[in-house]
Parts: sequence; C-alpha cells; structure tokens
Amino acid sequence: MMPSTTTETVRLTIDGATVTVPKGTLVIEAARRVGVMIPHFCYHPKLKPDANCRMCLVEIEKMPKLQTACSTPVDEGMSVRTATTVVNDAHKSVLEFILANHPLDCPVCDQGGKCDLQDFSHQYTATTSRFVETKRIFQKDYFSALIETQMNRCVQCLRCVRYCDEVMDVKALAPAGRGTMTEIKHFGPHPLDCEFCGGCVQICPVGAITSRLSMYEYRPWMLKRAETVCGYCGDGCQITVQTKDQELIEVNSAHGAGRNNGDLCARGFFGFHAASHPERLTHPLIRRNGALVQATWEDALEFVADQVGKIKAAHSGHSFGGLISGRCTNEELYLFQKFMRVTIGTNSIDSSARYGHLNGLQAMRRVQGTHRWTVSFDDIVAADVLLLVGTNITESNPITGLKVKEAVKQRGAALVTIEALEPAIDTISNIVNLSLHHFCVPATHMRDTILGLLKAVVEQNLVQPDLMQRQPAYVSAVTRALQQISWQDLQAVTGTDTAFFTDAAKVLAGGQRVVILAGQVLLRSERGYSGSLNLLDLLILTGKLDQPGCGFAPLAEENNDQGAVEMGAVAEFLPGPCDITSRADRDRLVTRWKEEPPPNGGASLVEMLDRAGAGILKAMLIVGENPVGSLPAQVRAEESLRKLDLLVCQELFLTETAALAHVVLPVASSMEKSGTFTNTEGHVQAVRPSIEPVGESRPDWEIFVALSILLGSPLEYAESKEILKEIRSLIPGYGSLGPAPVLPRVDRTAVDCYLGDGYQNDLTTRYRLDAPKSRPDGTVQLELVQSLFHSGKLSTRSKGLLQVEGSGVLRINPLDSARFALVDGDRVRLSNAHGEMTTKVKVVGRVPQGLAWFPDHFSQAATHLFDCVIDPVTHVPSIRTTSVSMMKVA
Amino acid sequence: MPKHELILLKNMMQPGYTGSLADYEKTGGYQALRKALGKIAPADVTATVKKSGLRGRGGAGFPTGVKWGFLPKDYQGPRYLCCNADESEPGTFKDRQLMERDPHQMLEGIVLACYAIDAESAYIYIRGEMVLGSKILERAIGEARTAGYIGKNILGTGVNVNVWVHRGAGAYICGEETALLESLEGKRGLPRVKPPFPATHGLYNKPTVVNNVETLANLPHILNRGAEWFAAIGSPPKSTGTRVFCVSGHVKQPGNYEVPMGITIRELVYEHAGGMRSDKPIKAFIPGGASAPFLTPDHLDVKLDFESVAAAGSMLGSGGVTVMEEGTSMVWAALRLMEFFYHESCGKCSPCREGSSWLVQTMRRIVAKRGQMQDLETLSDLCKNIAGRTVCAFGDAEVAPIMSTLKHWRQEYVTLIREAEAANLIMPEPVGAKH
Amino acid sequence: MLREKYKDEIEQILSRYSVKRSALIPLLYVAQRDQGYVTEAAMKEIAQILTLTPPQVYETITFYTMLNLKPVGKFHIQVCKSLMCALVGSDSLIGWIKTKLGIAPGESTADGNFTLSAVECLAACGTAPMMQINDDYYERLTEEKVDRILADLRSTGTSQLKSGPFMWPEAPKAQV
Ligand SMILES: Cc1cc2nc3c(=O)[nH]c(=O)nc-3n(C[C@H](O)[C@H](O)[C@H](O)COP(=O)(O)O)c2cc1C
Ligand code: SF4
Ligand code: FES
Repeated sequence: MMPSTTTETVRLTIDGATVTVPKGTLVIEAARRVGVMIPHFCYHPKLKPDANCRMCLVEIEKMPKLQTACSTPVDEGMSVRTATTVVNDAHKSVLEFILANHPLDCPVCDQGGKCDLQDFSHQYTATTSRFVETKRIFQKDYFSALIETQMNRCVQCLRCVRYCDEVMDVKALAPAGRGTMTEIKHFGPHPLDCEFCGGCVQICPVGAITSRLSMYEYRPWMLKRAETVCGYCGDGCQITVQTKDQELIEVNSAHGAGRNNGDLCARGFFGFHAASHPERLTHPLIRRNGALVQATWEDALEFVADQVGKIKAAHSGHSFGGLISGRCTNEELYLFQKFMRVTIGTNSIDSSARYGHLNGLQAMRRVQGTHRWTVSFDDIVAADVLLLVGTNITESNPITGLKVKEAVKQRGAALVTIEALEPAIDTISNIVNLSLHHFCVPATHMRDTILGLLKAVVEQNLVQPDLMQRQPAYVSAVTRALQQISWQDLQAVTGTDTAFFTDAAKVLAGGQRVVILAGQVLLRSERGYSGSLNLLDLLILTGKLDQPGCGFAPLAEENNDQGAVEMGAVAEFLPGPCDITSRADRDRLVTRWKEEPPPNGGASLVEMLDRAGAGILKAMLIVGENPVGSLPAQVRAEESLRKLDLLVCQELFLTETAALAHVVLPVASSMEKSGTFTNTEGHVQAVRPSIEPVGESRPDWEIFVALSILLGSPLEYAESKEILKEIRSLIPGYGSLGPAPVLPRVDRTAVDCYLGDGYQNDLTTRYRLDAPKSRPDGTVQLELVQSLFHSGKLSTRSKGLLQVEGSGVLRINPLDSARFALVDGDRVRLSNAHGEMTTKVKVVGRVPQGLAWFPDHFSQAATHLFDCVIDPVTHVPSIRTTSVSMMKVA
Repeated sequence: MPKHELILLKNMMQPGYTGSLADYEKTGGYQALRKALGKIAPADVTATVKKSGLRGRGGAGFPTGVKWGFLPKDYQGPRYLCCNADESEPGTFKDRQLMERDPHQMLEGIVLACYAIDAESAYIYIRGEMVLGSKILERAIGEARTAGYIGKNILGTGVNVNVWVHRGAGAYICGEETALLESLEGKRGLPRVKPPFPATHGLYNKPTVVNNVETLANLPHILNRGAEWFAAIGSPPKSTGTRVFCVSGHVKQPGNYEVPMGITIRELVYEHAGGMRSDKPIKAFIPGGASAPFLTPDHLDVKLDFESVAAAGSMLGSGGVTVMEEGTSMVWAALRLMEFFYHESCGKCSPCREGSSWLVQTMRRIVAKRGQMQDLETLSDLCKNIAGRTVCAFGDAEVAPIMSTLKHWRQEYVTLIREAEAANLIMPEPVGAKH
Repeated sequence: MLREKYKDEIEQILSRYSVKRSALIPLLYVAQRDQGYVTEAAMKEIAQILTLTPPQVYETITFYTMLNLKPVGKFHIQVCKSLMCALVGSDSLIGWIKTKLGIAPGESTADGNFTLSAVECLAACGTAPMMQINDDYYERLTEEKVDRILADLRSTGTSQLKSGPFMWPEAPKAQV
C-alpha cells in the first residue's frame, strides 16, 4: 500500500461554514475543523468508526435519514447541519436512551467532572427522566487489583474493547452477553491479565472503568496538573501528572499529546508511585564508624569537597571516576560531565548509555555520520516495510511498538522480524504475530540472520544498480565476504532455509519506505555494534539509506540514554556529541568553558571499576547508577568500589552500591524537577515538576553546582534553564521543543568515507558466522530480559507495578517445561561456574525453546551468573546471557 | 388443490418425493445448470435474473439481479455467496421446508448464483436450531458433489463451486446480512455500518452476495423457463413470481402456501388455509413476519405484493402471515413480539438496545394493569426515536408491533390503563440501581 | 484435549474457511457435544487452535443462545413462547411441562435429566405449539403428546414423535 503523495481535497459546508478537507475525512472531524463539536461517545480518532452510540447524528442534505457523523466520509459539495431542531431532538433522544439504564451515581463516580455523559447531559437533557422502569444492575467487578469496573455506568460504546484490539493488539476485553445485558468483561473467573496499558481506563468516556490507584478521593478540579515526560523508557511519553499537595494521584495522557499521542504503557500509567515510595532517601548520609548516619547538607557537601580536594591534591583529577544514570535530565548530564572534566579534571565518566545504546549510536556515526535517527515515529507509522531486530518491542519500547502495530494493522505495512520470540498468543501482545517473515533466533545468532538477509540481497541481485556503479569495491568486498558464508552453515545457526531469507530480502528491497529498528536484545549483545553496522550495510546495498522515510533506528532503553551521549556524559564524547580528540570541537568548547577538558584517556564503566580494583582510581561519584546490583560477579564491582578512598552516591534509594558509599546524597526524582529529556528518536522534551522534592532531596544538578563552589571552581547556574541555554550555545538549537523531532539527514561525506575504505578494517570479522554453541543436556541459555511492567529497578518501587509483577520469575518454553518436567510455579536451581540461584518458573509460549528469561528488574540474585564480554570498539559490556544448568528443586 | 401452478413446492407435493438427488433429477433437476454453465455468459445469467423481476424473499425485497450487478467487475480476488438460511423471523417457516424437502432445488440455485457472480465458495448460513436441515443439506451437497454438480470443474465446464453448511448458534440478528457475515467470520453477530455494502466489502472484506433460500430456489426455474415466463407470474411488473406464504395463528389449516404474488389475504386465509379455526372473524394480521406492522380487517383485500402491502402501511417482508381472531388482546400480542425483539437486540446501537428494554418493561406494566396514560405518549415517542436511527433495520422492525397496535387498537391500551387507574393502582416506586 | 480426540473433524472444519476464525462456532459445537457445554479448558484450546485470545472466544459464546457455559440437563426442552405459538397455546403447554417435571423455565430437574427453557421463535409457527429437545423438533403439541414424548425420552432416550423433514400441510399420500 503506497501512501498517496498528493492528497485530494473535498469542499463541503457545515452549518453554513465552508471547509476544505482531505478526501476520506469523516464529517465529525471536518466539523471539528470549523469549531463544531458533534457530541459522541463511541467515536475516537484512534479507532475505526463503529457508529454504535448513535449520538453523532446529523442532517446531510439529500439524505432522507439522519446520518452518523462519525462514520460518514465527506463528499464534494456535501451540506451538513448539526444544530437543527431535528438534530437536537435526535441528540436528546439518544441521550435519553443512554441514560435510561444509567445509575446516575455521579456523586460517587470518579469520572465526575471529566465525563462525556455528564457534559452532554448537561447540554441536552431535561432534568427529569421519563424512565420509570427497573434499571438493569451489574455487580461491581474488578478486572484486577488495579482496575475496577462499574458496568452500570457503561454506555456500551466498546471503545475499551476496540482500543484493546485495534491499538494494543491484546484483545483482553470481551463484551459478554447481548443487548442491554452486554457487559465488558475479561476472561472467565480470572483476574484480568493483560498489558495494563490503562488504555481502557483512559478511553472510557464515562466512569465504567477506573484505576484503583486513584479512587474515590478527588474531583478533577481539586487536582493540580503538570505536563511532563515519563521517566522510564526511551520512548519518552508525554504524561499529565495530577497531584494534590505532595501526593501523586493519577497519571494520564491526552489524545494528541506528545510523541505517544495519548497512549501509555503500564509503567507510565500505573508506575508513578516510585517517587513517593516510603524508602526514599530524605537526608544526606555520611559514613561514620562504618555506618551511614544522617547528616546535614552542609556537613555532607563539605565532607565531600574536603575529601575530593585532598585526593585531587594527592593523586590528580585522573584518579577520579564518574558514573551517571541515563535517567537524569540533559541539564544534569551536561553539568555532570562538565563538573567531572573541568572541576575535577577527569575524562573517566560514563553513563547507562554504555550498556548498549552506544553500540547503535557508534554504528550510525561511523556509517552515516549522525548520532540520531534519520527517521521519526511518524516514519515508522508511514513505513511500508519494517524490519525489527532484537527489539522485544512491546516490553522494551511499548509505544514505539504501537507505532509498528499501527503501520502493520491499520496501514498494511509488511513486517519482517528477527527476534528471540516465538509467535504465541498470550496476555501481552506479541509483535511477531503480525509478522510476514519471522526469524526466531536467540541474541547470539541475530547478526548471523542479518548476514543471511544480506547474502540473499547480493545473490538475488537486489543490490541497488547505481551503487554497483559508484562503489564497486565496497559491493564486491561485501559480496565476497558473503560468498564465504554457506547457506548450509546459515541454516545450521539460524534454523531457517534459503528460500525464507530470499523472500524476506525481496520484501525489504521492494519497500519504498523501509525502517529498521534494532533493540536491546541486539544492541546489548556481544554483536550489538557489528550487527548494527551490518544492518546499515543492508540499507546501503538496497539503496535505502538516504531515501526519505527510510532509516536505521536503534531503540534506547532508558528514558535519556540518547541525551546522555549528546550531553557528553561518556568518556569518548564531548557535548554534541563531539569526538573528544577533535581539535576543532575542543576549541569551541574552550571558548565557552574558558577551560580545557583533559585531553583523552577517559575510562569507561568497566575500565573504571578495573582501575579502582587496581588502586589507580581513588574516588568515584556515582549518580543514580548501581553497578553492584547490575554487573556480573566477574566484574567484581563491589570489591573494587570498597577499595575507593571516596565513594559518593547521589540516589533516590539506598541501593547495593549506595550502601557502600562514604556519602549518600538524596536526590529529587524526575517528578520533582525541571529540565529536558531526549527520547529515542532524538526529540527533546520538557520535564516539569509535579511535586516538591521529597524530604531534603535536591535535583542532581544543584549538587554539582554546590560542590563546584565548595571546590573553588564555581559552575554557577540559578536554574536548570540556564544550563539548557549553555547547552544550546554549544549545540545550536538543542531542544527546540516543537511537536516533533528535527531529523538529521544522512551525512554524504561520512557515507562516502565509509564506502571508500571506512568499511574495511573489520569487514571480515563482521561478515563471519558465529559458531553454533552446543548446549549440553540439562542446560538452558539464561537471558536477562526487559519486562513490560518494569523499567530498570526504579519501577520495582512502584506499588501499582508490583501488583502486576511483584517478583522475578523465570520464563521458559512449554517444550522445555516438558523436558525438565516442570509446571508453572515449580522451583528450579540454576547454576554454572559463577554460582547458583533458585527461582520459580512460569511457562510462556513466546519464549523460544532452549532459552530461559529472567527479568532484569529483579536480577540481583541472578547477576552473578552472567558472563561479561566487552566490545573492543565501543567498550559496551555485554552481560545479558549465560548458559546454566537447570534442575527442579523442592 | 391450488388452482395455480406451483413452482417451488411442486416437486415436494408429488407423492413419494424424498428430495434425493435421484428424485430431483427425475423432475428435471440440474437441467438449468447444464443449460447455463459454460453456455450462457455469467453476465447474461444476471441479465436474465434482472429481467425476471425476481426480488429478494428474505425480507427487504431487493431486486436480485440488480444486487448481483453491484459486485465490482474488475476485482481479481475471491468472491463469496452466502445463502441466508437463518430463518428466524417469527412467523416464517418456509425456508426450513424448502431446505429439508427439496435441498437440491436450492443447491442448484446456489451454483447458478455463484456462476453468475463468479464466486467459487458458497456458505449456507443455517440457523443453529435446524439440526435436521443442516444434516439434510450436508447429505445433498455430498450427493451433488459426487454427481459433479458441485466441486471442481462442474460438468466439465471448468466452473468451480464449493458449498458448505455453516450453522448459526441462536441469534435472530444473524439473519441480517452483515450480522450474518460477522457471525460467519466467527464473531459476535453485530450488524456492520453500511456503506460499504457486502457487494464490495462482504465476507472477509471480499465482494459478497447474500441471498435468501427462497430467492435462490427460484433460480433454476427462471433459467429453465425464461425471464418472461417468470415475469408474467404474480403482480408484474414489480412483484413477479410466487411467494411461499407461511400462514400461522388462528387459522384452520396453518402451513406453507405457494401462491402468485398479488392474491389477497382473504383468499390466502379462506381459500388456502381453510379459514379461521373457530369461525370467529379476523381481528388482525401480520402480512410479513414479526417485523411487519399489524393490519386490520380493513386490509383483507390488500393484494399481497410488495407495493400494495407497503401502501397499506406494512410490508411483505419474509412472507410470514400470522392471523389473529376476534378476542385476541392486541396489547398482549404486541408485548409478545416486543419480548422477542428485546431478547434479540444485539445491543450495538443505544436506541435499540436501551429502547427495547424500556419498551418491553413499559408494555409489561401496561398489560399487568399498572400503566399510566402518559405511557402511551412515551411509547410512541420511544418508537419514533428508535426507528431510522440504528445501524440496521432491526430498529424499524422492533417498533412495528407497538406503533401499529397503538395506531389501530389504541383503545385497548386505554382500557387497560383505565382499569389500572380504576383499581387505583399507582405506579410503584421505580427500583433503580442501588449502590 | 479436543485436538487429539476430534482430530479429523477439526481438520475438516478448518479446511472449509480461508480465515481461521470462521471455524470458531463449528469448533464450539464440537466442544459442546463433548462435554454438554463449553468448558474453560475448551475455550482456551479453541483459542489456541484459531490463534485467538480466550476473551475473543468467550465473547462470541455469550452472544449465542445455543452455546452453553454451564452444564444443562440431558434433555434440554426448549418451548417456543413467541407470539405465533402463544396464539395457539404455548403458555399452557409450558405450564403443563412445568407441573409434569416440577421445574420452571430456566431450571433443571434434580436428576439432571431435564432442563426447561422458554425460548423465542424456532421457525415452526405453522405447526405450533412446538418445542425443541436437543437436536429434534416436536410440533403440533398437545398435552397428551408431550406426555408420550417425555415418557419415550425417559425410557429410550429418544422419541418417534420428533419431526422428520418438515412439510406442512403434508403432501398428498402416494396412491397405492
Ligand atoms: C433484523 C433482520 C433479520 C433478518 N433475518 C433474515 C432471515 O432470517 N432470513 C433472510 O433470508 N433474511 C433476513 N433478513 C434480510 C437480510 O438482511 C437480507 O436482506 C437478505 O438475506 C437478502 O436476501 P434476499 O435479497 O434474497 O432477500 C433480515 C434482515 C434484518 C434487518
Ligand atoms: S466500559 Fe467505557 S469504554 Fe467500554 S464500552 Fe463501556 S462506556 Fe465504552
Ligand atoms: S460517535 Fe457516531 S455513532 Fe457513536
């Protein structure tokens, strides 16, 4: 299906006003354009018209009956009347019907004040009802611990059911029964088990489905609202946080708002309580006689400054290291690196972008000279071919996942997937169910599968002819490398035959608007960087790289991983990001900073820990990161950190790492501060406080400012806006904060350079299959995976999400469950050379055979089992996979 | 003995006729297929049907050939025929007889229709309760397949038509063609918003024709004997052919009577159905199934054709004629039908869903002598507010009994309410939803 | 598991449709034949066969009167109560069955043999009053005929009084 380039338009009149709209527009939308709001319940712009409520009836000239504006497309010359007596009477009568069985319990209904039914009733109906019969009564029900239903209030518009199906592809809600007795239910006697996106709660025009996290307490007008950005994943959803004083009451997102267009996932909708968790740190802590004790800010900061000064004097700035979370704002990330580089004098800094995001980003820089996507969410929706590689998209980037679903379900895009996922229907949508060509491969063979596609491309003559002319050396080098790979070997490692590769390659090459999404399963793997490069090769060979609507889109896991790199919060990049070794960029910086950052040689995450272990690094400032809890035993994070003379942690909670610190400084969460986040597509969005900082906590940037002053090299900013101003002076236009990201274009010089000889040095290693790993009997490949219900470990402090997923459970394939004689709820012991753990199992159809998934968010007990392999170019540690033997235990 | 020629019931009226393939072939069965397939161009089959004036027997009376003509000409993918054998309209029981007694007649019609519209698959959507009917159809399809009338390369003409029986599961609304399609797709039987019509977006969104059993059963005869022959029967030009009227209620000899369109209800009752059972005069009748407004003895001489019945304020509908004798309570009768409609409202549209429950409760109250005078105005208001405001024609149908009885026998309502008032029974407090 | 027990039948059903979901109602009939009603396990299994979610199967079942989510009696007596049957005595017939079996519509006998329902029109208005018991229609009912039918069902599990291929009025008898 090709999106037409020229949109035909149609002229019509609505209540006398002439309006010109694109062909195919619905009357209800055309009316909105001229400011006429036609009352409606079942219509929602996200959903296919169902025209069931009959509320939107209008008169259309030449049509004998009233028509539903929500389902009637405009026609040239159409004349619509929305306010005649006939139409008004129709609206009144439909409302009278809808109200007949409605309990009119507005005083106790949570929708009160934001209810369509209430609003229209106010507008149209008499105060007395002619309905004197018995109202039908449904029992109050709970979809789950999080959602309450009061079906007496339901107007049976089916918006919830349709949203759950059409947008989410989850299909968890069932209109049960028929006629007036139709009741929206879930399956059987079980609690609702679904993605908990909150979409049904949000889209219900009345109070039939409500969140139990915020019930019976407040009316909308009693609440304060803040428009801000969700702090969990890289999708960067715009949310409205509603508060009463310091209490977080509710989160929602309005249709049309943000890059998420009003859609949210469980984390965004139900996960907002992490900030108000009782274990939040509210006071600075200083270690005295071995124990952390409460201190004043003054004491704590002075203590830190004092120690820093001493260590710096004795060992120079190079003996310091800094680590910061990609959950901080751009302003904080920027100031952190400036503080470390200038005030302290070290380039040894890193952020959570190191865990994988840098792999995709470095690949983009090398091949196309950008550090951002050249496509946006809108291009995903408009794509005609989409390739997903190791995205686990629903769990990792649920809203990007919705864009993919929209492209496939509503616009007929062809989807090719390379995922460690089996197609299966269960309670969470599964993107590969929508796939035209699905390659089910574990992370360890994803790159091999990409190679298979590349091989099919060159062998099927799908290489763009022009490229052959312009870059014969590149094409033939790649072709030669691919010829070294045999189809037999490919089949052996991927389990897929030649024809399947060929078909998928044809689909990719045949697309006009091709977007490739790569996710954490690939990016955080050992092959994250080289696999990304190969995907870019795929775009180049098929001639898509620089085509409009085409591009490579590596997905960021944490909300501001992209910002962390752009702000220079990693060793190798200055803000921009600019290469730390680039003279021109350094000069620009110096004019601004009036100081020169240290020349080079900054250590990255694991290197810093190694240096600490070796006694070279003496002090670390760790902001919102928890290496002890996140890194495998092999890295020896705890041992190394214990050797430091000074460990300062800025934290929300007393994590495993913070517990080792000499000083712990309580910081404000993203609900409590201002700034900006940069989402995965490079869109910079404003973060606004919804509540005051909890306890004595402060925003991280204020702490850097305070320390710099005490250290005698003041970085002075009165508010975060001033930091943004400085960022803009270095990165012109940073964060124009418009409705959509400003996309970079592929840099021709960079591409030419890559195609010239830039591709060469690692070509043979990138174009080689990984040997199939033989797995001994009794073992499984253990993988740390992202869960939809959590993001990092922060969300495990959110009571709503804990109700959905409260602990780590090992997910295994049904065939493995049979092989190991396990059923849901059994306990197993996992062990390997590094150690062992026990956990409960759950049998899940989507987990491929031979794999066992453990949620990253509850991984404390599991991390020590994992291996760590570091990419030689990007220094990304791959720590998510290991082989373990599995045994049932009592 | 009928004085006119039977068409559809002719075979089965012959003593000993079993409906087997052999029996059907003996009476000239499948000759139309031999005549048409590969010999008459599909477009000409459609033209013949158009010329015959055949109109749908399922209820709406839409000209069959014209409907076929709406299918996109240049569409490449599959097309479907659905035979509407849902027969759920109260008062209607002709399709059951046509299917169970002469299944090959309708199967031949199905294959002809498929040929005309270039469909290779036909589904017979039969109401779930008719288990016997579905078995008979399955057997007949088996016979026809063995004999080469159904399946691949029919009679060596290269025409392929597969026919399957698909049983419904108890929902009147699935007789409505788009609800039928939804149900056939394995979903809840909720009517679709039209346009688009099934002709372009039908089963699986593919071009589809839905035709009633009786409509299809006429096709072999039209092809065999010509459009002119058919067009001369009944009340030409608009109501051609015969109808199988299903007579029920207070008549001596209820049953299916095939007569040319245009005879009067008086003839139907007194000359075919043996007159009234207890010789009481007719008080009311429904000419076309439960969805058709009630008529009065004043209408006994209205001709039973599409136009005349419509002019009299009702509709010919499905051909279900229910006759009520003097003494029948019309309010009670309307309530009975209202209960049916309440039970069967699919619930999609607010006016129909809520209106049906409101109407049925109000009617129950009136019949139980707890009515009030203002109920009458409410009833007629509600009816007016439902009619024409719903996705499908169910909304118009459900208000027919109340609207027409209120119109012709308002006094009966008034009497019941007066009795209520006389007994000084006041309205009970409304029992609302309690919390 | 249905898939093993009715393998051929299920395959045959699936082969009829180009879109799998169409096989839903036919498969539900298979499940209902097996257990007398559609069990939760059956809903899940059918969902799996058709790649639907269980709620999609469930919502469909609840729309149709013939699909049961709870067990019904061995003989499910459904008497038509619509207008056409009511005109010729279905109400008193229901009353008769009620006293015979001691159950009201919507109830089952204690031995689980009979369930009585009053239902809407079953397309046998010309041979009213009528009832359906399991797969069979019984028409032109009288109290005496109902007694015989119930007795037959109790003793033999079936009754010769059930309808054959429907035709009314009947065709003239063949001349011998
Ligand atoms: C509520 C409703 C119920 C219907 N029930 C039936 C039915 O049981 N059988 C039938 O053939 N048509 C029924 N129809 C008519 C169908 O929608 C459709 O018009 C018909 O099947 C077309 O076939 P025909 O053109 O051959 O009549 C019904 C229509 C409505 C609105
Ligand atoms: S619960 Fe709400 S959204 Fe769902 S059908 Fe009812 S009114 Fe509509
Ligand atoms: S909004 Fe148009 S029918 Fe509901």
